[in-house]
Amino acid sequence: MSVDPTSVAPLAVTFEALTEPAFWIGVGVIAGIYTLLALGLQVNVGFTGIVNFGQAAFMAVGAYAMAILTVKAEINFWLALPLAVLITIAFGLLVGLPALRLRADYFAIATIAMAEVVRIFAQNARGLTGGNQGISCAEDDPTLCYFNEWREASDWINDNLVFFWSDPEDLFPLLLVVWATAIAATFALTYFTNTPWGRVLRAVREDEDAAMALGKRTLRFKLQSLALSATLGAIGGFFFALNLAAVYPINFEPLVTFFAFSVLILGGLANYKGVAVGAILFWFVLEGTRFIDLPDPPFTETRIAALRLAITGLLLIGLMAFRPQGLFGKKEEMVLGE
Amino acid sequence: MSSASKNGALLSTEGLTAGYVPEVDILTDVDLRVNEGEIVTVIGPNGAGKSTLIKSIFGLVAPREGRVVLRGEDLTGLPPHSITRRGMSYVPQLDNVFQSLTVEENLEMGALESGRAKDRIRAIYEIFPRLGERHTQAAGTMSGGERQMLAMGRALMPEPSVLLLDEPSAGLAPAFVEAIFEKVNEINNAGVTIVMVEQNARRALGMSDRGYVLDLGSNRFEGPGRELLDDPKVAELYLGGTARLDIS
Amino acid sequence: MYADGARFLAPRLRSKPPPVGTGRGVPEAPNEIDTPVMEAGHLTDAAPTAMRGRLEERLRQSPALAASLILIAIFIALVIGEGLHDVLQTTVNGLSLGAIYALGAVGLTLVYGILKLTNFAHGDFLTFGAYMAYLVNVTWGAPLVVAVFWAMAATALLGLLFERTLWGPMRRRRAGFLQLILMSIGLAFLLRAVIQWFWGTEIRSLDVDNTSSVEFLGLRVGETELIVIVVGIVVIAAVGLMLRYSLLGKRMRALSDDLDLAETSGIDTKRVILYTWIFSGALAGLAGVMAAATTNIRPELGFELLLPIFAAVILGGIGDAFGALAAGMVLGVMTEWSTLLIDARWKVAVGFVVLVVVLIIRPQGIFGKAKAI
Repeated sequence: MSVDPTSVAPLAVTFEALTEPAFWIGVGVIAGIYTLLALGLQVNVGFTGIVNFGQAAFMAVGAYAMAILTVKAEINFWLALPLAVLITIAFGLLVGLPALRLRADYFAIATIAMAEVVRIFAQNARGLTGGNQGISCAEDDPTLCYFNEWREASDWINDNLVFFWSDPEDLFPLLLVVWATAIAATFALTYFTNTPWGRVLRAVREDEDAAMALGKRTLRFKLQSLALSATLGAIGGFFFALNLAAVYPINFEPLVTFFAFSVLILGGLANYKGVAVGAILFWFVLEGTRFIDLPDPPFTETRIAALRLAITGLLLIGLMAFRPQGLFGKKEEMVLGE
Repeated sequence: MSSASKNGALLSTEGLTAGYVPEVDILTDVDLRVNEGEIVTVIGPNGAGKSTLIKSIFGLVAPREGRVVLRGEDLTGLPPHSITRRGMSYVPQLDNVFQSLTVEENLEMGALESGRAKDRIRAIYEIFPRLGERHTQAAGTMSGGERQMLAMGRALMPEPSVLLLDEPSAGLAPAFVEAIFEKVNEINNAGVTIVMVEQNARRALGMSDRGYVLDLGSNRFEGPGRELLDDPKVAELYLGGTARLDIS
Repeated sequence: MYADGARFLAPRLRSKPPPVGTGRGVPEAPNEIDTPVMEAGHLTDAAPTAMRGRLEERLRQSPALAASLILIAIFIALVIGEGLHDVLQTTVNGLSLGAIYALGAVGLTLVYGILKLTNFAHGDFLTFGAYMAYLVNVTWGAPLVVAVFWAMAATALLGLLFERTLWGPMRRRRAGFLQLILMSIGLAFLLRAVIQWFWGTEIRSLDVDNTSSVEFLGLRVGETELIVIVVGIVVIAAVGLMLRYSLLGKRMRALSDDLDLAETSGIDTKRVILYTWIFSGALAGLAGVMAAATTNIRPELGFELLLPIFAAVILGGIGDAFGALAAGMVLGVMTEWSTLLIDARWKVAVGFVVLVVVLIIRPQGIFGKAKAI
């Protein structure tokens, strides 16, 4: 990757910035976004047993839909959000219907292929998506940008925070909103696990044939699970887009999905509360490598990026080899091995 | 390495205990003795552990306790391909041929030395002429009976002293069942000791020198084939409370 | 033995990959004496059902034949639409791309077939091979031939290393498929990181002549590209012959068909598995060098090729080495043909679209038998 894929932190990162709150708030935003993404994966993998490698596609569809609706169709931003979610859900169902009857590892490959198709489409359908330049504002009206309403809301929040914090950082409202959403989602999902619906989902994961024999139409439940992760993915995509100044295809490459999986596994399967912990731990450690004052020869910028990749890779390998249940997964629920 | 263990048997198991899931033993303390040249049949209701017994002898399931001894040599827990090299072959009940390989390639896979393979294959075709006729056919396109023959042929390629058969007649039409048992006799007459697990108890016991009856993982009865056939207690085991088996 | 229920753990236990045909189009034998074969509780009727005319029947029984006919039909349609010259030109380009796909796919499919491992790190094997060739050819200045052999050897060793340290131990622990996939993804990251550490992210090239070209039959082919095509086809043919006629090749196919049965038959499966990794690694390395010679060298090189290679694997029937070789070539040619109809920038999507379509319509691929997937 010619663009460092882990540099999804705020745009202005200078060395001094590393010691400033702005940087860490930025990391917190990323951690929150990945919490949402991984929560979606948790529903799929940890609770329904379907291996969704296409989460980045849900992000992309959600983010692009929101941007296109706002900038090109000139729909009100606050209306575009739920519409974009619906579009993403529809996309997820469209993909899920044929794909879900595949065996799990084929489904994984199918979803990643589908995600790449989405990304390549975004890269090349320049008329609709702006190609590699992405979308931020309307071509004929540079003041019409998708993040306008959000910026207003963000400023409003900051104005009201003056009572607590005299000079709040620009990204702080985003941090608040992202985490409020993430926490709400975590509680909602935890609640749903203990309902009859949640129990069926678990049964589908444990033994689909038995669940079908009991009369549950498992395809419907799997589609619902996919719709849930599409929703969470889309919302993650919104925050992603608001964090940056434009929606670019490169932000939705498979690496993002794999990072989300790393977060998921670190927190542990079949455990919603662990996801947030995994996300925070993962991203603060990873981004913390920028903080360490590593001497330039031999530690160039690219090498530090390589180091981050290596850490992620070793983490995945190590977890799978020695602790597949991650931090909070339970061994009995942990059905990755025999 | 003497050619027979202390009690004179070619193959024996002592106190064999085995299972698949950690806490559950399918086999408990099974003793088995097979003398050279015999046909020994193991029968029992479904779930008795007959298949597990064969698999443990052959190393597909590692025994938890006990020993497997062939010609005085302790084979317990050796990997299957080592056991094949020591003179014991196994014919599984299901998935017993390489579907995408031809008949001849299947047989080649059983050969231990590639130099002798051609001669051995010719010998197998003499036992199973049908295989010779179809030697370039893909095994996956053959009927059940033909596959069974091919599976046996493959197992005979390394010239084993002992042949382990897991339900050779399962799923076959009556005409083929008879043919298979005749082949088993033929192979036995040629000097191969046979250990057979069978659902078709009557027919199998009828041609066996000795038999064992397994139930719930343990030896229940043992004796000459004909005697077991006529033993009312054996009949009760099958036709009484634990009747899960069809003796046809 | 089938105690475990969870569907996505070890697909081998729940549903075996379909038995794959040898591509020879042998029709199913009608049942003579026997009752239908009982297989794991499901009745499969070996006798064909409807007979709607000889040709249609043969097409049904041999999807490979059907696929070839479709391919020829497309070729003819394209020639009519775009002219022979353009079609032949893109076909030639497609052959070089197809050779890369084929050689990348055959190793991946065998590793999947034998070890049930969906190796997401395979793409980075190609990248590794490319960089190894760069090391020898550019940094050390040796001729390209030497670089190729070095790259193949180094990648083969890499495959062996991971089998010894990762895959072997995980198999002994009976790891489930999700564990293995995620581990292979972690491995892919690690490989990419190592490459990026030593060579950075700049685009590099091998010391090859990318300007001079050869003309024949009115077609223009880059000299390097022509060499790649020739080498590719020769190696593919050699690989095919080796798989079909050599003892090791037959054993690899046997293991891919049924690993437990191979072990039961007396084959030293551990040894064959090691050879398979050598095979897979060496061919991946070669494919990587070929890709480097015809395009350039970047850390993402292999991963970008991975998904089309997956497409070839699945198109050819997963676990079927012959299928992978054929499907790789077909996919390469079709990808280049697509430039006749759509803008070239969409070319990269062809592989993915094929993959998705195949998975939806016929997941067992062209050569696989129609068993439940």
